[in-house]
This record gives sequence, C-alpha cells and structure tokens, in this order.
Amino acid sequence: MTDFVQALVNGLGQGSVYALLALGYVMIYKATKVISFAQPSLMIIGGLFAYHFTRVWELPFWIGLVLAALCGAVLGMVVERLAMRPMVGKPVFTLAIITIGVDIVLRIIANRYIGVQSKIVEYPGGSERLSVGGVSISHQTLGLMVVTALVVVGLLTFFRKSRTGLAMRATALDQETALAQGIKVGTMFALAWAIAGGLAAIAGTFVATQAAGIEQTTWIIALKALPAIIIGGLESINGAVIGGLAVGVVEALTAVYQPDVAPWLGANFALVAPYALMFAVLLVRPYGLFGQKEVERV
Amino acid sequence: MKLHTPVLRAAVGLTLTALVLTGCRSGGDDEGSGAVDGVSSDACPAKINPDNGCIYLGVISDLTKGPFAPLAVPITDAQKAFWKKVNEDGGVGGYDIDVESNIADAEYNPEVHNRKYQEMRKDVAALAQTLGSSQTLAILEDMKSDDVIGVPASWNSAWEFEDQILESGANYCFEAMNGVDWAVANRGVKAKVVAVGYPGDYGGDAAAGVEAAAKANGLEFKKIETPTGQDNQAGAVAAILKEKPDLVVVSTGPAEMATLVGGTAAQGFKGTFVGSSPTWNPALLDSAAAPALKALYFQAGPWGPFGTDTPGHEAMRQAIGEDVSPNDGYTAGWTWSYPLLAAIKKAADDGDVTREAIVEAAKNLDEVDYEGILPPEAGRTTGEPSETAYRASVISKVDESAPTGVTMAQELTVGPTAEGYDFSEPCFSLQ
Repeated sequence: MTDFVQALVNGLGQGSVYALLALGYVMIYKATKVISFAQPSLMIIGGLFAYHFTRVWELPFWIGLVLAALCGAVLGMVVERLAMRPMVGKPVFTLAIITIGVDIVLRIIANRYIGVQSKIVEYPGGSERLSVGGVSISHQTLGLMVVTALVVVGLLTFFRKSRTGLAMRATALDQETALAQGIKVGTMFALAWAIAGGLAAIAGTFVATQAAGIEQTTWIIALKALPAIIIGGLESINGAVIGGLAVGVVEALTAVYQPDVAPWLGANFALVAPYALMFAVLLVRPYGLFGQKEVERV
Repeated sequence: MKLHTPVLRAAVGLTLTALVLTGCRSGGDDEGSGAVDGVSSDACPAKINPDNGCIYLGVISDLTKGPFAPLAVPITDAQKAFWKKVNEDGGVGGYDIDVESNIADAEYNPEVHNRKYQEMRKDVAALAQTLGSSQTLAILEDMKSDDVIGVPASWNSAWEFEDQILESGANYCFEAMNGVDWAVANRGVKAKVVAVGYPGDYGGDAAAGVEAAAKANGLEFKKIETPTGQDNQAGAVAAILKEKPDLVVVSTGPAEMATLVGGTAAQGFKGTFVGSSPTWNPALLDSAAAPALKALYFQAGPWGPFGTDTPGHEAMRQAIGEDVSPNDGYTAGWTWSYPLLAAIKKAADDGDVTREAIVEAAKNLDEVDYEGILPPEAGRTTGEPSETAYRASVISKVDESAPTGVTMAQELTVGPTAEGYDFSEPCFSLQ
C-alpha cells in the first residue's frame, strides 16, 4: 500500500508539471481554436528566465519564479502579436503549423543560452523531505503541487469572477458576438497567450529544479501534456488539470506495477502508457473526459 | 471511434507525431577539408610550421543536443589543444596535424554519425575522435575499407578486438568489474547488485562486467535497461526501489544518473551507486540531487580526474588554459590522443605517412607514452586482446573542492574479477 501511495504522490508531482502545460494549451485553444505547439519552447525559456534570475542575478527562488512567469507571459504576448495575430482568419491547421515554426525558432535561441551544460535552478531546501507514514515527498515537489493548486484556483476565480475573465469566456464562446458587445477580441487572444506563457514558465522553472535541470532535449517533457489535453478535453480547464495529473499518475503507477503485472508489455512501457490511456479515453469519449460534445446541423 | 472535429483530428495526428518525435533526436551539419586521403604536402590551414605537410584528422562527436554533449565539447577542445601543442613542438615526421577542419556533430545518432563520416571520408587520414559505440560501429566497415583508424570516445570492450580502433584505458566491462570489487571491499556490499544502463552497447558492456563481478563475489545480479531522458527514469527508479540492492552500477548519461540517484535517495534508498566514467558532470553539484550524490555516488574511471598530479594532466591543464571550467571531458580527449600520436610517429619513423601505414603502426605499438596518466604498457597493441587489454580503473568520490567535483578514492587498480577474467571475446557483442 505504501508503494502505491508513494507512486501516486510521485505521479501527482510530475503530473502537476503536465497540468500546468496542459492548461496553457487549453487557454490558447479556448480563445483561438488553435493547438499551440510552441508550449515546449515557452516552458524551456521560462525555466531559463528563472535560471538567469536565480543563478546569475542571485535573486531568491520565489522572486525568480514570479519574474519568470511575468517574462513568460510577455513572451507569449509577443509571439501572439508577431506570429499569430496577422494570421487571424486563416485555417486553424495553418496556425497550428505556425506555432511549430515558432517553437523551433524559440528553441534555437534557448539552445544558444543553454549550451552544453544543463541549467539547474536551486529550489530552497530542495533536497529536504517530508515523510508521513512511510511515504515521503520532497519540498520541491510539494512546492510544485501547491503552486499548481494556487494557479488553478486563481484561474478558475479569474474566469468566473473578473470582467476580463468573463470577456475571455465570451470570446471563447462566440467571437463575433463578443465583438458586438464591445469586447476587444484581439486583446483576449493576447491575454490567452500571456497566461499560457506564464503557466509554461512556471512549469519550466520547476522542471529546472529537478536533478538534471534544463538541457537542450528537455523540451520533450512538454509533449507529454498533449495526451493530457486529449484525455481531459481540449476546451476544459478542469479537464487539463485532471488530464495532466492522470498522465503523471499513470506513468508512475505503470513504472511501479507493469513489470510485475504485465511483463509481456516489455521494458519501460511507462513511457507510452499516457498515450495508451489517451486512446482508451478516445474510444469511450471521443471529445475527451470534459470536452464539449459538438452537434452539427446537417 | 469517430473524431468529431477537424481540429481534434489534427490534434490527435500531431500528438502521434509528437510520440514519434519523442524517440527521435537528430540533425546537424558540417564540412570537410578536401585533402586526398587526409595527407597533404601543403601546410595545414593554421600554418604553425609553414614548411611542414599536413595530416588531416576527423572528429565525429556529440556537440550540441545529445546526452554526452557536456563531455563531448571539452573532449573535442582538449584534442584541439593536444594536436596544437604537437604542432607547436614541431609536428610529427615533417607534418603538422589538423584536427579543426573536419569536425562534425552527430548528436549521438548512429545514422547521422554515418552520414558525417561519408562527408569527410575522403578528407581524413584518421579519426581523432569517433564518439559512441553504436555510432562507431555504424562506420566501422567503411573505416576498414578506407584503411582509416579511429580513436573511440567510448570504452567498449569490443574495441580491443578491432584493428581499426585505437582505444585507451580500461573498457566499460573491466571498469564495472573493478567498481563492484571496490564496493564489495569498501562499501560493505554483500547481497545484491543491480546494473542500470542504456539498452545496447554502453549499458550492455558495463552490465556484462557487473554480472561477472557479481558471480565472482557471490552476489545476486539484476539488469535494468533505461532509456535516455531525465523524464523517462520513473521505471528504473521504481525497479531499484523494488530490488533493494546494496549496489547499483549506473551506465547512462549524467542527467539520467542524477535522476536515478536523486529519485531513489528521495524515497529512502541508501545503497551505493558506482557510475561508469561518462555518468559524471560537475554541474550536477548544483542540482537538487547533490546531497544524494555526495552521500551515495562514486565514479569508476579509466584514469585520474582533471586535477590529478601527473605530467600528462599538468600538460593538459596548461594547454587548455585557465579560462575554461574544469571538466573530465578534457582529460579524456587529451589522454585518448596519445596512442594516435604514437602511431603517426611510428609510421613517420618507418618512412611512410599514409592511412595504411598509420593503421599498420597502430597494430604494432609496444607501449605509449601517456606522460604518467596511464602506464606505458597500457598502450600496447602487440599480442592478443587477453594479453594487451588494460584492466585497471580508478574510483573517484564526490568532492566539491576538486576542480571537476571528484577526487580519487582509489588509484589505478585491477580488481580480482578483472584480473582473472577470460577476455577471449568482447563482454558484449556489438553485432
């Protein structure tokens, strides 16, 4: 039982990173109907911002995290303004492909900064652990889970209570009607990208606190948030969070139990377990666990 | 199953693409020098000795995004410094050595490695560096047909059986044996050893050594294969925790090693880790895994680390200058170059500096002057591999005050398992 709970805790920790990234994907999709494949580079650059603030400028970690999130948000807005806004009205598939180009360009820039030595952000008390009943969790993972929870609560409150959040929801629902109501749709797009950039930067900062920090190949971690959004539903904030956590938990539980329960699946099946879960969910709910079932008039 | 929107279909399609991308990390580009068979009567581009001819050497390394880039860049820089010093000392047999015109980044990808070799195969007399075992295997047949000898930036036991490869130091297999023997004698290892490594040559060679040493020491043995990527180590971490070994021998890159040590220690694991030589990177001392590394990790290596006091180490430190961050990639790149220098010298002394002559000379070295980094007999190539293979390793411990974060806990020593091992074939077949 202890092994199960420990795997669950580990999975929720890693899943928190996926959840933050998945939220970014959903933010942009809800606003613009575009899947942004620029999230990996936004995550990496966000982590590098945090590295620069905490290791080069020697600012405290939490200040570095906030500044990295703000810089990530600004970067998201810049990407939206320069690469996406001019393409408004074009097929969404074209826009998705453009985000791949943006991702490549940003990663080339990031790789120049990374060089060959990994960039590691030091988490205050990162190696210390909290143990309860044989289950332990590092302060770093605990911090990540708390930050993720605060971000999710903050976002839900923002969308439900604030005028801007309501405007964003209105834009997501129907852009033309939102325009008719005086909402600046372009600003809402930029805001969605800013939130996505900030979320990716927070995720990247916590990735940079892990044992090996950020290397040139670390961006691949962000791709694991893709099955998360398919599982949760492309338009659902709750779905993104649950999908992200599910991917982390499935990975961790598969790593622990699959070698004994289903050894015939081969070594390291945990790597593809999230994708297997994605297919299973799509078979049952083709629009994801919390996605909107679309009805088309024929 | 029916996908209801084009966007959803596109998302699923791109997600599958992402899944494929997860397993594919490749790319790169570079250019060759243009010399016929790599030997020219004209001076090298650097013109250190304008009256000398030029021998062009190739380098195929992992310089940007592969798992060993943190080591490969200093390896390459040290080799540049080594051959520059050779040229400044007058060159070899009327030739300067150019190691800068044919440098390629293969990103630790055998396919790219092969492509890069094809691009430079007409332009080089030998390869000063070919990084990776599978990667080198991908070009080995072409090297044989071209009569090109190569210095491997790897320590696979199969290289002892290849005339075309000019290796230095104990291979991964002997290194792992020595690591287990050392841990049994010094860390109270009594029951179980687990070998965790990349699938294939590097991890397989070390695991074979671990298995032999486990058998010799009466230990239970388990092998765990793990892929590259720090985000992909959950399975190996879980397996180590489940097996509860006294000793874990790790044969991965530094990022994976730190994730394994940090991840298992975080869940209460207190066993000893001995890493193959490529597992260490001093930057890891800045990571959250640093306390665990200090407590549990030891590095088995083919020679003393960067700060070791030998004439060869001192010559290396002077040649690379004081403006660089100390890294044992420099030590490796520098040390690997000695036997190729000896082979070129011997070929020149025999009156013929050609590819064929260098290969022939390399097969007939009785000793190599490593300037104290390794004993001269470590460079012997005359005889059967079971006689010539160098079997001694060092064990280093984490030491924050040392230039590369590690200092020797045990100097070059052959453990009892390696001493008695019947080395009539490679520990792990590359074919």
